Amino acid sequence: MFAMSRPSAVLLVSCALVSGSQAAPQRSPAPADATARIVAAARAVVATLDEAGKGTLQYAFDDAAQKKRWSNFPSPMFAREGLRLGDLTPPQRTAVMSLLQAALSADGYRKVLEIMKGDEVLKTGAGGRGPGGGGPPGGGPPGGGPPAGGPPGGGPPPGARGGRGGPGGGLMFGEDQYWLAFLGTPSTTTPWMLQFGGHHLAINLTIGGSQASMTPSLPAAQPAKFTIEGREIRPLGKENDKGFALINALDETQRSQAILSYRVADLVLGPTQDGRTIQPEGLRASALTPAQQSMLLDLVREWAGIMNDAYAEPRMAEIRAGLPQTYFAWSGPTVNGGAAYFRIQGPTLVIEYAPQGSVDHIHTIYRDPTNDYGATFAK
Amino acid sequence: MLALGLVAAAAVTASAHRKDEYLQASRIAIESGRVQMEIDLTPGIAVAEDVLKQIDTDRSGSVSDAEADAYAASVMRAVALEVDGRPLAPYLVDRVWPTVEAVRQGEGSMRLRLSALMPPLGAGAHHLRYHNAHRPDIGVYLANALVPSSDRVAITDQQRDVDQRALRIDYVLRADAAALRSQWIAPGLIGLAMASALLRLSRISRRGSGRLRGRTPGAAPT
Repeated sequence: MFAMSRPSAVLLVSCALVSGSQAAPQRSPAPADATARIVAAARAVVATLDEAGKGTLQYAFDDAAQKKRWSNFPSPMFAREGLRLGDLTPPQRTAVMSLLQAALSADGYRKVLEIMKGDEVLKTGAGGRGPGGGGPPGGGPPGGGPPAGGPPGGGPPPGARGGRGGPGGGLMFGEDQYWLAFLGTPSTTTPWMLQFGGHHLAINLTIGGSQASMTPSLPAAQPAKFTIEGREIRPLGKENDKGFALINALDETQRSQAILSYRVADLVLGPTQDGRTIQPEGLRASALTPAQQSMLLDLVREWAGIMNDAYAEPRMAEIRAGLPQTYFAWSGPTVNGGAAYFRIQGPTLVIEYAPQGSVDHIHTIYRDPTNDYGATFAK
Repeated sequence: MLALGLVAAAAVTASAHRKDEYLQASRIAIESGRVQMEIDLTPGIAVAEDVLKQIDTDRSGSVSDAEADAYAASVMRAVALEVDGRPLAPYLVDRVWPTVEAVRQGEGSMRLRLSALMPPLGAGAHHLRYHNAHRPDIGVYLANALVPSSDRVAITDQQRDVDQRALRIDYVLRADAAALRSQWIAPGLIGLAMASALLRLSRISRRGSGRLRGRTPGAAPT
């Protein structure tokens, strides 16, 4: 049994609402409208904070160190900065989750919630530091009042901004251990970046007016399958199943080109690999039938579609245009249930799906080698 | 408080990262005159002490420059690189070293940047072989060619052993545009010069023969 904190219950309810909303897909709003709503939600977060909290949240847009401060690792193994969810009051936390809901698609938001929920499961199964992760290293909540996620404990480590864990402590898991930061001021015209992440999650959404890029991002999962009140949750289940469906839709000739002859133990272009492009391998999408190409694009959408639909549609069009130069590569078993690695690589796209030795621990990466961190419009 | 049944469907380990393996990820950039290489070395938390013993040889709890250099050298001794069957001699360009604590936690990645000069190679097909024999007892490997930064180099194939300890990169080296220009311009200029010389000779010859003709008996000089 797991005693869930109030914010967790809010997340679950949100998750259920999101699942429900998927049944009735709505027409994508215009990107400019989406930006306006996201900026309004971002300003609503800022409005809940005191000056110290704002200082903790806000970074300069050109802060290269903060831009790259994301990882698959848990805290404090990897020291994140920004607002830690566990340090927030319920209204602050609600504002943050509303922002994520505005910035992401319904399915993307569902995915983020489930990845966080998986970390909560990991905490209870792993003997973590208990609710609140042993207390926020950054001290009290940025806006004053009691923290929502567990008792405070200890002051900030020397030199750390709020929400930063010091090295050497026990690993901290759970929904409280996720951080929000803004690089640049939320604006409908000037580029800025929303950064949200923690263990097994990095969302780097750069918005420049009506344009947006959500690369690099790292959705991952451990456990990859768990149940809540009898409902099976697989945060990256669709990625897995669609990947296996595609490899099994290939004929023998196509498979012989798609399947790599070697093991791939990890992400090749994971965290710290910005700016690198590996030589593509595997089966070229131009050798796929139209039906197989649709399956490939549907698989790609699991990553490209995490951000708001208004941004995802033009992104998908861009990926579709590059399809003739896009490759699909596979390593591992082809029967669903096995731990298989796959990679999709095109002119503006890199996706890797890499089980970490088991099907229950998945890392993935999503990049645009031409536009990570919105490089083309965020100058 | 809302109590919910929350059950992991599968056994969950405390580790959120690689435990008992030593990840060695190599990226190789082929240029026309050299090979650039990066090797990221990330020991898992369960093998970190074992790896650190090889690095922190004086057991001081920190890694000195000399210790880091010595370890980098030992990695380089385990790495073989050759082009068209001719061994290359990589040298260390720089290294990035994490804290001992980061390595101990399974988070720290040591990064070696290596470079090797290529022998003079002509345009055409070539192959580069890379082999990493560092710590095969605990190593897991990634080895990839980067997309070449120069249009002169085009990778045509990559072949690996199943563990990615060995990588063969087939590539084509195109003639350098400047070299191509000089290759065509020089013979062109020589050709032009020769043609010009022949033309002049021909004119001289024609003029000469006219004079000779004029000297033909019975012909009046003009």
